[in-house]
Amino acid sequence: MVWLWDNLDLVLRLTADHVRLSIIPIVVGFIVCIPFGWLANRYTVARTILLTLGGVLFSIPSLALFVTLPALLGTRILDEANVVVALCVYAIAVMVRGAADAFSSVSRDVISSSTAVGFSAVSRFWTVEFPLAGPVLLASLRVVSVSTVSLLSVGSLIGVQSLGYLFINGYQRDFPGEILIGIAFTVIVAVVFDTILVLVGRLLMPWTRATPRRRSVTSASAAVTA
Amino acid sequence: MFTQHRTFTPRRGRLVLGAALALSVTAALAGCSSSDPLDPGSAAPADPTTITIGSQGFAESEILAQIYGQVLAANGYTVDYNPGIGSREAFVPGLKDGSIDMIPEYSGNLLQFLDPSASASSSEDIEAALPAALEPEGLTVLDAAPAEDADSLVVTPEFAAANNLVTIADLAPIASTITLGANTEFQTRPYGQSGLESVYGVTGYTFKAIDDFGGPGTLSDLLAGNIQVADIYTTTPSIKQNNLVILEDPENLIAAQNVVPLLNTSVYSDELAALLNPVSAKLTTEGVLDLNEKSNSDAKPSPEKLATEWLTTNGFL
Amino acid sequence: MNLFLDALNFLFDPANLAGSNGILSRLVDHLWYTGLSMAVAVVIGIPLGLLVGHTGRGRNAVVAVSSAARALPTLGLIFLIILYTGLGVGPLIVVLVILAVPPLLAGAYSGLEAVNRQTIDAARAIGMTEWQILLKVEMPLAMPLIFGGIRSATLQVIATATIAGYVGLTGLGRFLIEGLALRDYKLALAGAILVIALALCVDAILALAQRLVVPHGVARGLTRHTDESAAPTPRQHGRVSPAPSNP
Repeated sequence: MVWLWDNLDLVLRLTADHVRLSIIPIVVGFIVCIPFGWLANRYTVARTILLTLGGVLFSIPSLALFVTLPALLGTRILDEANVVVALCVYAIAVMVRGAADAFSSVSRDVISSSTAVGFSAVSRFWTVEFPLAGPVLLASLRVVSVSTVSLLSVGSLIGVQSLGYLFINGYQRDFPGEILIGIAFTVIVAVVFDTILVLVGRLLMPWTRATPRRRSVTSASAAVTA
Repeated sequence: MFTQHRTFTPRRGRLVLGAALALSVTAALAGCSSSDPLDPGSAAPADPTTITIGSQGFAESEILAQIYGQVLAANGYTVDYNPGIGSREAFVPGLKDGSIDMIPEYSGNLLQFLDPSASASSSEDIEAALPAALEPEGLTVLDAAPAEDADSLVVTPEFAAANNLVTIADLAPIASTITLGANTEFQTRPYGQSGLESVYGVTGYTFKAIDDFGGPGTLSDLLAGNIQVADIYTTTPSIKQNNLVILEDPENLIAAQNVVPLLNTSVYSDELAALLNPVSAKLTTEGVLDLNEKSNSDAKPSPEKLATEWLTTNGFL
Repeated sequence: MNLFLDALNFLFDPANLAGSNGILSRLVDHLWYTGLSMAVAVVIGIPLGLLVGHTGRGRNAVVAVSSAARALPTLGLIFLIILYTGLGVGPLIVVLVILAVPPLLAGAYSGLEAVNRQTIDAARAIGMTEWQILLKVEMPLAMPLIFGGIRSATLQVIATATIAGYVGLTGLGRFLIEGLALRDYKLALAGAILVIALALCVDAILALAQRLVVPHGVARGLTRHTDESAAPTPRQHGRVSPAPSNP
């Protein structure tokens, strides 16, 4: 692609923007989901409220959220913050459900045993429940990562810089190649993020490799929630 | 923060490049500390030599933004770009709240946006009326360029011949049978729905919103006969390429649209005006049309490169 | 808050209900795009998911393709298709189908995979054919996850069908886009509320349908593995859909 070569600086700059803007929601979604997921797993009422709320938030069209946020947050109309916050909302909506499922996937026997051995509630959570919930959490996080990277491009409709710019610019100029490059780079960013998540997961949860089949099943069912 | 600070290599040599680099690094560092997007206090530009230039959602606007921006960048300003901002209804508030400092605008539409009752339609009258309309908004324009790019109502040559269409008024008798495609804003613009009815008696047609600023979707719908009339800008190459007929506007419903840099008054300086006014003076309608044609040519050069090329040819870089 | 009231006022003003640009006509269009895309997506996604889940073959390929499909940006895809086809319903449906197939596929094959192997072996032992196993054992047991996929896909399609308004079509997205283009927040917010309300209503209807279709025993979680150590998968039955169907 001659065009890609000629405009590599532009494409790389947009890719950098894309990466920068999509990392925040993925990280925020992961951090915020832990307390909420724990709550949802612990209390049925909390579960009903949080998961219904998550369902509502997730069904808000992204464009609507981008446009409504300045009114709610007092941000400026063209701020990147609007898009980032909107994507955080989606990430949290998906992750809270994922986290609730993840914590409920930890066997009660294991929890009882660790209580019996003398773990306090706090240390039991961090040393037993959290790591054991890891594989299912990771599966949700992968879904969030992919959908965040893909959704971010909608922000270019309201002037936020990302690879989505290439879609609009390419369309304006009747130039499919530019759109294709935008799509390809978006997919590459998504795949790189996913690979990093999987590698980090393997590093932090070496035991999951021993039972590949079960892990894949849980990841598949978590993927349904996206 | 983290926005790209583009520096452009001026022909004068490495010294300037070095200076510009040093400047942009300093500005980048300063920018990191001062521009928390959530802090409303940062709405007013802290540093008058850092300019964020917006552009509208079509290629021409972006090329113009680059032309103005690169001149500033070559003269010690730090320039950020915020392309692809939708309609006037989006970027005027963005200018006011400091999201962007400057944007290439079109004089007639700007005046009608600020003052829907404005009656000026010639380039001179509009330019004379603008400052008063802009002042209460905290906005300022620099000198307008000779280049014009107005909305125009176009039809296919076959449709024009079949219905003896020459002026917009000729649409009136067949209005009930036609569909007109344009951006959503067309419905509320003075030159849009209301003007067509009050000035030319064209009413009763079907409106189809196609939000691509007269781009490929509008064109393909026009050529396919899904719409019979389209709102396409006069400098769009597709008009010439497809021999589309621009309906004449004898009543000057569609006001003159000269390219003009619109900026937040707080970033205005005589130095800025002295840098950009000569650039505007060289921007002609033919020049802009040529830029658009190049932008749509097979190589599809980026707006950035087109602007550099134009500025170099015209002796600004 | 005022903005919110303005939006509600707009929604409950009978003048905005009828007419070619009214709420009703756009709602019908929105449902049409959603229904058509979901129908196509279900025809593609569910049988494929069942096939993969039943045979266990091609699983990795399906996972890879469907996660790649998730990464495809809807906006870029629709613009790309329009450059070749011009405006119309076709490009929109293609894009929405691409969006809807991965969760349907995932729901179907993970639903089958979650079925206890011993149950299937038992069915085979009493002389059921493969078709009978699929239709009478695996599918009923997998119903909660299959429905989870359908509900999740439908939500996404309803939310994403708003882009129809950008490409010369209508639907509820028009209110959003008009509100955006004209900086009329009330209108944009009203559009957003309509889409959310539609999503919730449709999800509630699907939840109801799920209750009717899913066998009682499955819905109550009686199919949990007798094998105590196989903890994770069956516990998620009925919980994968966006709204809790089965507290």
